[in-house]
Amino acid sequence: MIRLSLMMMSLLTASGTAAAAMADLAHRSRPAGIDLITYHSNVKDVVIVLGVLPAGDAMAEAGNIAIPTLSGMMLDRGTKALDKFAISDKLDNVGAEIGFQVGEQSLEIRAKCLKKDLPLIIETIAAELRTPALLAGEFNKAKQQFVGELQASAQNSGALASEAFGRAVFPQGHPNRPHTLKEYIAAAKSASLEELKAFQAKYNGPAHMTMVIAGDVSDADAQSEIGKAFSGWLGGQDYLRPAKPAVAAAAAEFTVPLADKPSVTMLLGQASGLRYSDADSLPLRLGTAILGRGFTGRLMGTVRDKEGLTYNIGASMGDDSIADGVWEISASFAPALLNKGVESTRREVAKWWKDGVTEQELAVRKQGVIGSYYVSLSTTLGLAETILVNTQRGYDLGWLDGYPKALKAVTRDEVDAAIKAHINPNTMVLVEAGSVPAAAK
Amino acid sequence: MFEKGNSTARAVYLASAAALLFLSVTAQSAPVAPAAKPPNKHAAVPAETAGSADFSHIKSLGGIDEYRLDGNGLTVLLVPDHSAPVVTFEVTYQVGSRNEVTGTTGATHILEHLMFKGSDAFNDVKGNSIKQMLERVGGQFNATTSFDRTNYFATIGRENLESYIAIEADRMRHLWLHESDRQAEMTVVRNEYERGKNDPENVLLEEVMEAAYVALPYHHPTIGWKSDIEHVPIAKLREFYDTFYWPNNAVVTVVGDIDSDSVLGLIKKYYGVYPRSPAPIPAVYTEEPAQSGERRVVVKRPGELGTIIVAHKVPNGRDADQAALEMLDAILSSGKNGRLYRTLVDQGLALSAGAGIDLLHDLSLHTLYAALTPGTSHEQVENALVAELNKIKTNGVTPAEVATVKQQFTAEDAYKRDGTAAVASELSEWIGVGDWTLYVTFPQKVQQVSPADVQRVAKQYFGADQSTVGWFVPVAPKTEKGS
Repeated sequence: MIRLSLMMMSLLTASGTAAAAMADLAHRSRPAGIDLITYHSNVKDVVIVLGVLPAGDAMAEAGNIAIPTLSGMMLDRGTKALDKFAISDKLDNVGAEIGFQVGEQSLEIRAKCLKKDLPLIIETIAAELRTPALLAGEFNKAKQQFVGELQASAQNSGALASEAFGRAVFPQGHPNRPHTLKEYIAAAKSASLEELKAFQAKYNGPAHMTMVIAGDVSDADAQSEIGKAFSGWLGGQDYLRPAKPAVAAAAAEFTVPLADKPSVTMLLGQASGLRYSDADSLPLRLGTAILGRGFTGRLMGTVRDKEGLTYNIGASMGDDSIADGVWEISASFAPALLNKGVESTRREVAKWWKDGVTEQELAVRKQGVIGSYYVSLSTTLGLAETILVNTQRGYDLGWLDGYPKALKAVTRDEVDAAIKAHINPNTMVLVEAGSVPAAAK
Repeated sequence: MFEKGNSTARAVYLASAAALLFLSVTAQSAPVAPAAKPPNKHAAVPAETAGSADFSHIKSLGGIDEYRLDGNGLTVLLVPDHSAPVVTFEVTYQVGSRNEVTGTTGATHILEHLMFKGSDAFNDVKGNSIKQMLERVGGQFNATTSFDRTNYFATIGRENLESYIAIEADRMRHLWLHESDRQAEMTVVRNEYERGKNDPENVLLEEVMEAAYVALPYHHPTIGWKSDIEHVPIAKLREFYDTFYWPNNAVVTVVGDIDSDSVLGLIKKYYGVYPRSPAPIPAVYTEEPAQSGERRVVVKRPGELGTIIVAHKVPNGRDADQAALEMLDAILSSGKNGRLYRTLVDQGLALSAGAGIDLLHDLSLHTLYAALTPGTSHEQVENALVAELNKIKTNGVTPAEVATVKQQFTAEDAYKRDGTAAVASELSEWIGVGDWTLYVTFPQKVQQVSPADVQRVAKQYFGADQSTVGWFVPVAPKTEKGS
């Protein structure tokens, strides 16, 4: 326990001289065919369990698009041995939590418990994945719940802007291209239990599953529990990785009109064409952070601080852990300030693209990103999340230490070149969702 | 700086509509802790050294040491935790929207924004402003305003602590308050207000509070009325700042990899230069008159699904009955075995349902909440919510239910120790309520709750004539003007 603390002190204060120690504290193994990473952190008595396997929305492919989410929703609704209330009883009685969530490509598992309850948690997760009850009555309740949640999103300007933006920048068949709310609702209503069972049989398996167990846990105990609970489980499919990245679409503007929404959500951007692990990704991320991360990013400094046009504006890259992702600016504007806000945003993007970044901006931003990285590792959850996402991005444990070193090595020329190579202000997609005034269009 | 005016706990509650409203603040069981001690200047626990020489040791409880800076009354809470080389430093000013009146609603929150515009020694012009410093070192920082308090905080590597304290202390008394900054920031805050109005559930909660509180300033939203946001003069903001931003109205909390003596030395160095406030900090003496009948609010806006809130005023957040109310809420809304899940969600009446209390310095507000499923009527769900309260009034709760919640609190106590920011944040909420020691003692009180206590508080506080019921009724949107 002391060891981690001392190691992190070295990392925070100066350099990567102690860096090798971080990866050394993590252990990677493959019990029951699952890629397991354990990390003993300083927290006392608490264990965090995270997991992912390729069973996300994109895996519906040509089938019913609601099935992956419904499949995830059915996992905590009882197993063949225990109904959902009995499972809840067991967890509640020790204050443990297990949750499932479905993303673009992954089924995500998040759990936490006290050290003594790790066997219960692992056993329960395994039973929920391997032998879900899949009762017809529960399936109908899940469908009703899903349809209701989708309907509730129909007035959410952020959700609708994301949908329009994703559909504009990603081509048909790309795993990051979202379906419409209307399509999801229709699919959820028509989904059958047989389709769901077939989906689980195909996708729920250990072949490409990763689990991270961090906190007050020994590697031997974690391996033993996973090995026991998942022994004999087979199957699973790999993630979807498009052969060719999406290319930036032609410039386009979309309005999603919504009544009585006095704050308009604006998205401006394009497909990045990059996966996180691509060589240009890190330089472009640093350049993007200079443009739009935090309060000292150029966008907040001008569009918010100087011009007072918005509460929040930022630039980011995302959805690129597995497939090529997105580069976008997100902001909110009052309808009356929308045109001015978009104009100011475009002005800052054009300037950034044309002139690039300064040496000082890059040096400060690198220092900040590295500092932020270490602060994020100071909680067990933050540590576990970092390990998991690194794994999804295809890195080995050495990246825990390699990431800050890689950041430090990025040059201004690399940043400017990546901006020029992958971003084009003239072909960006603009989406405005909310009570957009007619005069704005 | 970066949040809505309402408390985070409320936002989380409405977003998840599940567990306890104030779970993140209250749901911990207590460590074994020494009893609180009376103030004792230069007490021997912890040992007096050079850094603590100008402080009075007030008490130590549950691993938290309270000090008072003798020269100006600044309260300091130190929570050493050496599990990682990071520190969370947080200053909580005991001023919130409860200190505002007509014409200045939202002033606390606007001032919170202006606190990032620079001070005499630290500003953008010099290149050493708070945001420049903290983003340079990768700090996680923000500020929030609620009904009862305003806080400013950062989690940083411990080697950066002094730099942050210097800036935070400077802006306590040397803040720039320029009209040009107010004008630019007014539209920023107004956009924050507008973002809140995008969400019908947020609007419903605000209107329920406006109806539930007649006299207490919880009547108005923390972010303020739009007209006040737009027109409050800089002179009023200056007056507000000069009234409340003093060391004797602030609590500094430091959690993490610290040497207590060194940190006290730094706090003395940077905050010790200030005197106490020249005038006493104004007290809020308004009391809420008794409610004499049910109140109802209906919000009609474009939307898809209805929402219901059934609210009751309950005692202040320090009251002894709060532990039993917390237990009641956990039994109603914790997980799939929560009574509201079983009767509303599992029966297809609601997408989500929950119960909780926004613990406040004065009368707090207890709410039952449900998001309706398509096709379900408001009457049906309201009746189901009220019926669950009535069942507890009539039949009480079971010993097994109480025992389960106590186990959950025990686990929460361990979970909350993972990370310095969460500890500091929770302490800040209790400071706003008026007693930081509840961070330690409230979970202990929950462990003492009996089934009879739960039934008693249900009978005492949840009368129909004391309720405020809010409905969000979605209506079809009018034709939009946009293309």
